Amino acid sequence: MRSNIVVATILLALAGYVFLAASALPFGTLRVPQTAFFPKTLALLLAVLSLVLLAETLTGNETPRRSERIDTSGWFRIGATLVTMAGFALALEPLGYLVTTFLLMVLLLRAIEAQSWRKVIAIALATALISYAIFAWLLGVPLPVGVLGL
Amino acid sequence: MDLLTNIGLGFSVALTPINLLFCFLGTLVGTLVGVLPGLGPVGAVAFLLSLTFKMEPASAIIMLAGIYYGAMYGGSTTSILVNIPGETASVVTCLDGYQMARQGRAGAALGISAFGSFIAGTVGVIGLMFLAPLLGRAALSFGPPEYFALTLTGLTLVAYLTQGSMIKALIMATLGLLAGTVGMDPISGEERFAYGTLTLRDGFGLVPVAMGLFGVAEVIENLAYLGSQSVYETKIKGLLPNLQDWKDSAKPIARGSVLGFFLGILPGPGPVIASFVAYAMEKRLSPYPEKFGTGVIEGVAGPEAANNAATAGSFIPLLSLGIPTSAIMALFMGALMIHGIQPGPLFIAKYPELFWGFIASMYVGNAMLLVLNLPLIGMWVRVLKTPYVILCPLILLFCLIGVYSLNANVVEITIMLAFGIGGFILRRVGFEGAPFILALVLGPIMETSLRQSLLISRGNFGIFVTRPICAVLIALTVAFLVWPVIGRKKKRES
Repeated sequence: MRSNIVVATILLALAGYVFLAASALPFGTLRVPQTAFFPKTLALLLAVLSLVLLAETLTGNETPRRSERIDTSGWFRIGATLVTMAGFALALEPLGYLVTTFLLMVLLLRAIEAQSWRKVIAIALATALISYAIFAWLLGVPLPVGVLGL
Repeated sequence: MDLLTNIGLGFSVALTPINLLFCFLGTLVGTLVGVLPGLGPVGAVAFLLSLTFKMEPASAIIMLAGIYYGAMYGGSTTSILVNIPGETASVVTCLDGYQMARQGRAGAALGISAFGSFIAGTVGVIGLMFLAPLLGRAALSFGPPEYFALTLTGLTLVAYLTQGSMIKALIMATLGLLAGTVGMDPISGEERFAYGTLTLRDGFGLVPVAMGLFGVAEVIENLAYLGSQSVYETKIKGLLPNLQDWKDSAKPIARGSVLGFFLGILPGPGPVIASFVAYAMEKRLSPYPEKFGTGVIEGVAGPEAANNAATAGSFIPLLSLGIPTSAIMALFMGALMIHGIQPGPLFIAKYPELFWGFIASMYVGNAMLLVLNLPLIGMWVRVLKTPYVILCPLILLFCLIGVYSLNANVVEITIMLAFGIGGFILRRVGFEGAPFILALVLGPIMETSLRQSLLISRGNFGIFVTRPICAVLIALTVAFLVWPVIGRKKKRES
């Protein structure tokens, strides 16, 4: 119930924003529609649909699906995973594929479940090397070489 | 005679060693993806899409199709053995398949599901072979108004058929269409909503968005509820269904094949819907409906046949009209367009070796799957036991490399992560990703055809109701939108 109202409000704001942003572009006429025509139409449609969602929720017609609760450790795993992946994006080009992948695997494996370091390092090392062999040699994907020359 | 020549041409393409290899790889990866919970066929196809750039177009589409129908096979294995559907089209297989396994009849259930899938897959391919060229020829007379109406009907039908809230699906479709407007105007080439960034000038890439919504979002969701799954410990023996099983299953397989094929043609998650409808139909036709859910073989045979026939059917709108009808078909369209091939009415005439090679490869692939699935079931069960804590970092790594390898652009990784987080949050509040992806791909087609239609009609919207095919499609769209409202009113009154 509450989540639907929040989402509908955000969507309304988004529709308004798109409409305004599209106003900087030429609309044309109905006879000769131009660049802003389609986005503006969609923004109006989005606004209407959000209002319908809002109305359905407030009149109790729409029963929101209840998701299972996520506990603290669940949120921690999600957060740590996302931060690690964002780190991968930042580090990939400066550090190179092999080093970054090794670090990614170590951090992900540890973040998801506390496993023994020896196992984690072995899996991470194997993954980095095998995936490098598959992608760089077998499939010819150009993977970045970092400052270490790896 | 013509048909025979074409089929001959098809097999000459499909049976080259390299294409056999890619067909095998596709079905293998597909079965794997189907077996493993946590990565569906959409995510897998999105990931491998980036690796098909350097392949021949025929090899690329053969491999990607193998993943799609392979996943349908693999998904049922886990439904039967552990009561966990590997992907949504196998959800109903759990009902009776798992019960059969608990009664020690896992072998018969797996066997009939594999044979049923093989038969239905073949029926579907034959249907595709006959229907796609026919529809393609009819579509040659389609103009922009028909294409606009087609995309509109397609998106509405997807929303209508969604398992969740229709209004939410419509919102996701609208958001997808909006995301599709980012980048260059398809007619004038003017830049829209790119905010001066180079990456967005070409619009949102299909692969980063699909990997985010279907790869990253799914893994994150699984991470939230990381628990131990127990694999049903059972000796699998006697994979061949006995004579009685065959007698019971013959008709459900036949009905499921035909029903699945036609439901597959419709927009939306064809295989999922086909499996549910087939189950309901078998239950209604059965002399002992009360036994459904306790382990009757018809409850496995019908839906399994239907979802495989539907995968073949779902290729028809894409190959003959150039209109993808589901998230996965949108990715196939992407795969063809990367090679500069435009699917549509001219596709079969222009690229006969591609179309017929693809058809032939599906026959070959279906046979391969039978070999992969029956004797190797023990291996798939062991794969299923791979702890998720190891699997999940691997899936994420594949997502990261897959997106990066597209254009060697780190920004696209960021886009994938953003869509992953967004998709996860939206899923929690009941919004599904499939209408979004489909709309993202249909967006440019829809915009171009809408604007061209208005140019033709000089701004008169009447053009959409005065042309017969258009009028029918628009009427259908209105019906899909109004029907649920009427249905709800009736329910309240009674």
